[in-house]
Amino acid sequence: MTEPIISARGLTKTFWRRSQRKGMLGAMRGLVDRGGTEVTAVDDVSFDIPAGEIVGYIGPNGAGKSTTIKMLTGILVPSSGEVSVAGHTPWEERRQLAQKIGVVFGQRTQLWWDLPLSESLELLRFMYKVPERRFKHNLAEATDLLDLAPFLETPVRQLSLGQRMRGDLAAALLHEPPILYLDEPTIGLDLVAKTRIREFLAELNRSSGVTILLTTHDLADIERLCKRIVVIDHGRIVHDGELERLKARFSSKRQLTLDFDVVPDLASAVLPTGTALFDQEGPRVRIAFDRHERSAPEVLSLMGRFGTIRDMSIDEPAIEDVIQELYAESARATA
Amino acid sequence: MRLYLELARRAFQQTLTYRGAALAGIFTNGIFGIMIASVFLAFYQSHGSGDAVQGWTRDQTITLVWINQSLLMTVYLWGWWEVTRNIQSGAIVTELLKPYDYFTYWLSRDFGRALAHFLVRGVPTFLIGAIVFDILAPESWLRAASFLLSVAMAVIVSFCLRFMANLAGFWVLDYRGIAAMFAAIMNVLSGMLAPLAFLPDPLRIVANALPFRAVIMTPNEVYLGQVPIWEGLGFQMLWIVILIVSARLLMATGERRLVVQGG
Amino acid sequence: MGNIADIRSDIGIALRIAALRLRGQMQYRSSFLMQIFGNFIVNFAEIIVLWSLFQNFEDLGGWTLEEVIFLHGLSMVMFSLGDTVANGVQTVPELIRDGNFDRTLVRPMSSYIQAMVNEVSLRHFGLLGQGLLLLGIGMATVSTEWTVAKLLYMTVVIVSGLALFAALFTIEAILSFWTVNSIEAVNAFTYGGSDLGQYPLHIFRQGMRFLFLWVIPVGFMTYYPSLYFLDKPDPLGLPAFAPFVAPVAAVIFCFVVGKGWTFAIRHYRSTGS
Repeated sequence: MTEPIISARGLTKTFWRRSQRKGMLGAMRGLVDRGGTEVTAVDDVSFDIPAGEIVGYIGPNGAGKSTTIKMLTGILVPSSGEVSVAGHTPWEERRQLAQKIGVVFGQRTQLWWDLPLSESLELLRFMYKVPERRFKHNLAEATDLLDLAPFLETPVRQLSLGQRMRGDLAAALLHEPPILYLDEPTIGLDLVAKTRIREFLAELNRSSGVTILLTTHDLADIERLCKRIVVIDHGRIVHDGELERLKARFSSKRQLTLDFDVVPDLASAVLPTGTALFDQEGPRVRIAFDRHERSAPEVLSLMGRFGTIRDMSIDEPAIEDVIQELYAESARATA
Repeated sequence: MRLYLELARRAFQQTLTYRGAALAGIFTNGIFGIMIASVFLAFYQSHGSGDAVQGWTRDQTITLVWINQSLLMTVYLWGWWEVTRNIQSGAIVTELLKPYDYFTYWLSRDFGRALAHFLVRGVPTFLIGAIVFDILAPESWLRAASFLLSVAMAVIVSFCLRFMANLAGFWVLDYRGIAAMFAAIMNVLSGMLAPLAFLPDPLRIVANALPFRAVIMTPNEVYLGQVPIWEGLGFQMLWIVILIVSARLLMATGERRLVVQGG
Repeated sequence: MGNIADIRSDIGIALRIAALRLRGQMQYRSSFLMQIFGNFIVNFAEIIVLWSLFQNFEDLGGWTLEEVIFLHGLSMVMFSLGDTVANGVQTVPELIRDGNFDRTLVRPMSSYIQAMVNEVSLRHFGLLGQGLLLLGIGMATVSTEWTVAKLLYMTVVIVSGLALFAALFTIEAILSFWTVNSIEAVNAFTYGGSDLGQYPLHIFRQGMRFLFLWVIPVGFMTYYPSLYFLDKPDPLGLPAFAPFVAPVAAVIFCFVVGKGWTFAIRHYRSTGS
């Protein structure tokens, strides 16, 4: 493993949530004393990301995803812990760090609403001090890959969400940052637009080796782009590793689909222990079983007594189910 | 009628919820009150303090300064532009289809709002003035009660003026210029900056006849005994009638324009 | 806030942004002129009232109408310039509320200067024009001798006042990092400060004088320099150099407000999860 380009150690952020006071007197008291409760949004989070990796950072709403990203970009100052991004402490060296990161917040644009996309990009060129030739080259490349040409001269407020997102991506990459943070980059987009963004990101990572940290609710983003995922819940990391390993860990429940010769009568039958009938549609039967109790061939042979099996398949667990189960487990752990 | 009372009650409660803003506003009104009162005190000092100037004694003018600061929010002197925004966003088309009278709808809401502002902004500001400066009390309970009635009528006059200024949105694209001019006219002709009696002659006579006087000056005159009660309230009543009729006519013209243009 | 070279380059970019956005606004010329005109009218009305008062009273704390007009002009010029420069800074509460302040922190440019050009408008030029007009009338009519030294110092004073008012608007922005409801109170110091600066300071009571001299040094920007410009004695008995502390007071005030801004940024709690 190479030297990590992003590293977080014991990252913690607590907020002070002030309680609302009632009445005129309460408003006056609210000005002086600070009643309220402390909320820990991010709790002792540590991870390393080597250069060139794409990491999915996922978790339920309010789990602390955005708060983490905001600390990694220097927007928020952590309550405790250490962060190093491309050799900088984000909130101490914002200006230097800004040159090395690109940031896209899916729900907000960093373009100027009242200006055409091309002028927004031009302004960012000055801000990031991109040499004219590099700018022209990068703009041409982005225009090509993201198909910006049709709306380059349109004021940003008139762009569709998908167009705006492409514009935002181009804007975030003009200065060729080695790191790209994406917060919900596909939110609200239609399927075609989503696919286009995913393909672009995969290509970017492959050809330029850009390190990408992305948060998303759309697990298709994860499956297409990320080998590694970090899952956060209630401010704590509950999983950090390869997506496949996560699946393996939670894939004790499997499904076996069997096509019988004739319609078997399973309603009254006693199924082998460790298996359960999931559903049945005529001759097609789906059996759920626990991998640790029975192996697939075992289930197959045991089911053979209900009739001749013509075909079979084993279903991998869907990523949604895996993540669901992970959250459920972390909820049980905290309870 | 039930609907309009309910609207007023809601607007009243809604206005009461912004407590932090109310405190900040009282502070601001207080600072401005102290400043303006000090300026008038200095002017009166140049004159030999006891004498009245244009029929206004020093203490009467100081009292006016504080009544003005207290009424500022109650009568929304510098305007409110919700109707204009509704016109320009096109929302007015659906609002006009609703089963209530558009003018009365906003008047009820404004009245509820005004009552809340009178209580949470007006009364505290006036108390600050009474503590820091020598303020005159009304001569009699009758005057005090008439003052409250006069304030209520001032709210209606002010609402009609504001409503008509809002309707300009039917004809003018950008209301900010209108808003600035509206505030300027209100400042001078209502008596907000100084008693109208201090204005030079042709302007004073005109200002005394215009409805702007009914928004700020008349409540002051009723409170301080500058005019007989019936005269002050009568002046306001007269303008209320004229303005309600004009506002409705203007509204009808605006609506016709809307129909012609197809919204 | 970064070093000098950074600040210079930031200002260059800010001017570019401002120019681009103004060009867009010029497309709505009539509305633009209307705003400037409206702005002019508002304060013109106040001058009519001031003039009327001088018709009824002899003087204001020993100052003539011409002298007070000069003071009005001086204060209005400073205020309108400060207001124009801090135009975007006044949108910081909105930027924070809508979550758009975040983006200023991930760019290689001072977040303050980015905020300054978040909104660009020349609507305050109506007030500036009127301030200059009053200043001119005041200068032409007061019975004082204008020297090169006085004119040069007036430029310094105007720049200092500009900085003071811009800093006052910045306080409003700083407070909005914690509270949204109460920032209206700062109006008492911005608009209130500008109004107070239009009158001779000695007519106000002890408490107000203290507030607007030692806490918010408006008095050192308008009243005291005017004592020097108009060759008037100081009834408040400060040392003889008091008319000349304007730039120092502005620098100290801006320094403190700058520290406040840095503190606010460190304690910024971005909205959303």
